[in-house]
Amino acid sequence: MRSTLPYDPRSDAVREASWVERIGRRAISSLSETWSLFGTLKDAIVSDFAPGVAAKRLVHGIMLTQVMFTGVQALSLVSAIGVLIGASIIIQTNMMMPADGELIGRVLVAVVLRELAPLITAIVVAGRSGTAIATELGNMKVNSEVLALSSLGIDPLRYVVLPRMIGCVVSVVALMIYFSIVSLSAAFAIGILASGASLSSFQQGVSGSVMPHDLALFFAKGLGLGTIVGWLSCHFGLQVNSSPTEVPQQASRAVVMSLLGCVVYNTLLTAGFYWLVGPPMPAP
Amino acid sequence: MKDGLWLEDASFRYGDLWVLRETELHVPPGRTLIVTGDNGVGKSTLLYVCAGLLNASAGHVWLDGHLAAAKKPSELMRQGVRRGFLFGQGGLLSNLSALANVTLALRYHADLFGMDEEDLNLRAREALAQLRVAQTDFHALPAHLSLGVRKRVALARAVALNPNFVFLDDPDGGLDSSTRNLVYERLERFRDDSGITVVIATNSRQLIERLAVEPMELAHGHLLPEDQSRRSRMA
Repeated sequence: MRSTLPYDPRSDAVREASWVERIGRRAISSLSETWSLFGTLKDAIVSDFAPGVAAKRLVHGIMLTQVMFTGVQALSLVSAIGVLIGASIIIQTNMMMPADGELIGRVLVAVVLRELAPLITAIVVAGRSGTAIATELGNMKVNSEVLALSSLGIDPLRYVVLPRMIGCVVSVVALMIYFSIVSLSAAFAIGILASGASLSSFQQGVSGSVMPHDLALFFAKGLGLGTIVGWLSCHFGLQVNSSPTEVPQQASRAVVMSLLGCVVYNTLLTAGFYWLVGPPMPAP
Repeated sequence: MKDGLWLEDASFRYGDLWVLRETELHVPPGRTLIVTGDNGVGKSTLLYVCAGLLNASAGHVWLDGHLAAAKKPSELMRQGVRRGFLFGQGGLLSNLSALANVTLALRYHADLFGMDEEDLNLRAREALAQLRVAQTDFHALPAHLSLGVRKRVALARAVALNPNFVFLDDPDGGLDSSTRNLVYERLERFRDDSGITVVIATNSRQLIERLAVEPMELAHGHLLPEDQSRRSRMA
């Protein structure tokens, strides 16, 4: 309660905390933040199993809208990046080994399919839609819209977080496939024109390098990266309390953490996967 | 069975700032509670706690015998607790039109209410018409509506739910006299409905006189009848 006594500046003086106290506070705060982070993910997933056929229908509608914003509207940007990445790889490979279509095909599989398609797509989605999601949710918090949803008996995690998270997963997987097609096609076209290698040698290189387990890795990356982007963007958006100045801060935090999360996940998955299944490329 | 709103030893604080201290309160169905208090004492927070939008730091809040701080808001709705809440600025969803704001909860719970698309549209339009929202505003986004219209739409959203609890935060703040009268008429109907528990946070003397309800004042975390609160302050 507000004091009616005259203001005494000494009352604001905070006792200097010892280093043990500071470390303890930091540890508690980090633990509670991690707990809340995973709580958002768990509660959002569980909310899909809550009763309510009408709610499910409504949420699916929002999911489709999210796929439209996150996936369909990002096609042109992903196309441009895909073509340029394919071209850069061809230029580099062609300088090392001119007119070797098979080698270029192998390099494309290793670089584009296994690493760049998932990572670049996730970065594009985090940059385009992650900021938008975090900002939208932050503004909803500031305008009491999240409280309003609760007052109407609507679960915010089900109505707000779940469709955005699934929208991100679907979009990242679809954009990864699209990115790979665009990038490989551009690389083939430029490679044939620049180095004179034959289309069949490219095809041989690609088909000889793609293993069945590559597809498993490809989709595991897509699902994981999409979840990371959607989940972290929603979580940090909902961390806004009541001040509009927190919105850009949390939006920027959402993107930074999403990018970091994506790179870490991508690296760990690649390392773990090939440690389990052995080297991806058969020796020539 | 704990009918209506029950606060059982309920406390709420922001850090060291107490909004509510070990409060016992019962507002039965058909009764109206008006809460007054200085700016910043926590009237809105008290409403949030009563409606279960914020969890009490200690103690319990019950709505018709159900814990207000249910894990999922939809659980309360499924247990028959229908809350209408008017926020200070309306609290409308900014990406939905006025009509979509009113139909949202009906559509989300359509299976619970046994309504089809036509029914819920009709009910929403009726609620908007009751609050005299012009048809031309039905498809406008909240950002394109004046505060008065936004508040009427928010009230229509509460009315459409056929609520058994109504929580109103400064319902006549920033309204012109004709809109204010319209809101007062609607609040009188809530007050006279024997099935609805109403909690209003306001400092508007005009509203208090119009509803003819003895207000309670929130001060220092305690909720006391206004005259008693005044006496204790003077003492």
